[in-house]
Amino acid sequence: MPGSRTAYPFSWRVMDALEALAALIWPRGLSRATPYLMLLPAVLLVGILVYGLFQIGDASLRTLDTSTFLFSEDYSLANYRRAFTEPLFAAVAWRSLMAAVIVTAVTLIFAFPYAYLMVRTRSPGLRKVLLIALFLPFFIGQVVRAYGWLIILGNQGMVNEALGLVGIPPMRLIYNYPAVLFGLVQYMLPFAVLMLAPAMAAIPEELEAAAGSLGANWVRTFRHVVLPLARPGFIGAGVVVVTLSLTDFAVPAILGGGSQDFIANAIYDQFFRTSDQGMGATLALMLVALGSLVVGIVFAVFGAGTLGVEGRRR
Amino acid sequence: MNEPLSKKIVLWSFVLAAILTLSAPTLVVLGASFTAGNIIAFPPQGLSLQWYAKISQATDLRNAFLRTLWVATVCTVIAIPVGTLAGIALAKYRVRFAKTLQIYLLLPFTIPLIGSGIGLMLVFGNAGVLGQLWPVGIACAVINLPFMIWAVTASAAGLDPDLELAAANCGAPPLQVFFSVTLPAVMPGVITGSLLMFILALNEFLVSLLLVDARIVTLPVQIYNSIRSIITPDLAAISVVFIACSALAIVLLDRLVGLEIFLKSK
Repeated sequence: MPGSRTAYPFSWRVMDALEALAALIWPRGLSRATPYLMLLPAVLLVGILVYGLFQIGDASLRTLDTSTFLFSEDYSLANYRRAFTEPLFAAVAWRSLMAAVIVTAVTLIFAFPYAYLMVRTRSPGLRKVLLIALFLPFFIGQVVRAYGWLIILGNQGMVNEALGLVGIPPMRLIYNYPAVLFGLVQYMLPFAVLMLAPAMAAIPEELEAAAGSLGANWVRTFRHVVLPLARPGFIGAGVVVVTLSLTDFAVPAILGGGSQDFIANAIYDQFFRTSDQGMGATLALMLVALGSLVVGIVFAVFGAGTLGVEGRRR
Repeated sequence: MNEPLSKKIVLWSFVLAAILTLSAPTLVVLGASFTAGNIIAFPPQGLSLQWYAKISQATDLRNAFLRTLWVATVCTVIAIPVGTLAGIALAKYRVRFAKTLQIYLLLPFTIPLIGSGIGLMLVFGNAGVLGQLWPVGIACAVINLPFMIWAVTASAAGLDPDLELAAANCGAPPLQVFFSVTLPAVMPGVITGSLLMFILALNEFLVSLLLVDARIVTLPVQIYNSIRSIITPDLAAISVVFIACSALAIVLLDRLVGLEIFLKSK
């Protein structure tokens, strides 16, 4: 019979075999459990991370014997005592927290007009340009971006060379706190805008027109209509920016040049410079706790915003 | 709508400042990579491709780049099935403890990167697999998994459960329903998610820094190590690789699903 092969193609046979196999391993009776089976790989993958947290917890309870460079067999809270009493750690923690607050405020101030213009513009071309200007740095990675800033702001960087041409002596523009803050704002801006934009898109444009027709100028419309309605977006963006800048490593390391360490840098140094795994693990666990605390405070004060579990789905 | 001039001026001055800050490092790196001089100077000392010629000779940079590609591939290959299945399960079925599961699956987001990195370093260290590349790929898949799940659940709106029932009614067995109805419906999400996973793994710096040793450094770590010593234009040339990858990802994302997908309100 001509064409009998084409009537039942090979790929169908493969599918049949796969279906039979699937029915054998996972019979219909188990279909109620199918979603759990589908979730299992993800749960296991994240499980590695959770297991890692337990390992950090274990390591944090062991102290380093500086004469033998061995870790104690039995648990003690000595590392935690040190973390709370040593002024160095307090200074680093304070520096990171201050930076997180300042960076979040500045980032949100700049992210709002950006997201507003991107969502409200009538021109698809402009919207695309704004999106690309956002995604390009987002996809390039922190190291390359920080490298770009070194070229611009470094001691022999472009700005100083340009200043030199008009006779101004070179200034120290990097390796200080403002440089780190600036680098962080630049790093966080895409995150903040992308968190804000969906919340802005959800605000009906008619509301603004209505406010305008009732005599409100644009400043009042922003204050009384747009900003309050964009609040969930602000909370979502704020939480993301505050935690990411609080825990950042690359920007303080590269633009701070070792003089502006954040908590993450202190943790790294404990592991790879001092080789005190216990102390490093203690600081890491405390940072996890601090991050959760900050998120908890924001949620408690402002509500869960766009990050709420309910709002996240559909 | 006629916008008042003052509103335009205020909005645009913020936006222009933001665009300038966002783009400056990229443009400067791009420019510096074409310099004819031996150091990066302003005003530029003429154009040349000498630094590209130089990096094409440098085996350590090329190897670092290939290692980075490998890590990103491992990460994406793991994340696609894991994230897609989890995303569909969360969007489609009524799962018990759905809230708890969602919070659990968001852990990679909520745990600071340095914490995740240190934890994974201890786990892989105890398992004796540090010093290889695949654990770095797995680590990248773990820390970025929420992106994949988010992308798939977000596009699950395009999945009409009636279509699956109709397919089953026409005699399609479960796997066929999955591959010919369910999967195509969430495809935009799978594409978005896997592009994000690949590009994020390509750029992943901190977790790489913690998990690699001197023999298997990835490109971001290599660049980081070099800018700490001295800034030469060959680093700018190699950084252009990242800029090119990023541009490519944006073009792909725009063509396949449209960048505007990120503006949709959930």
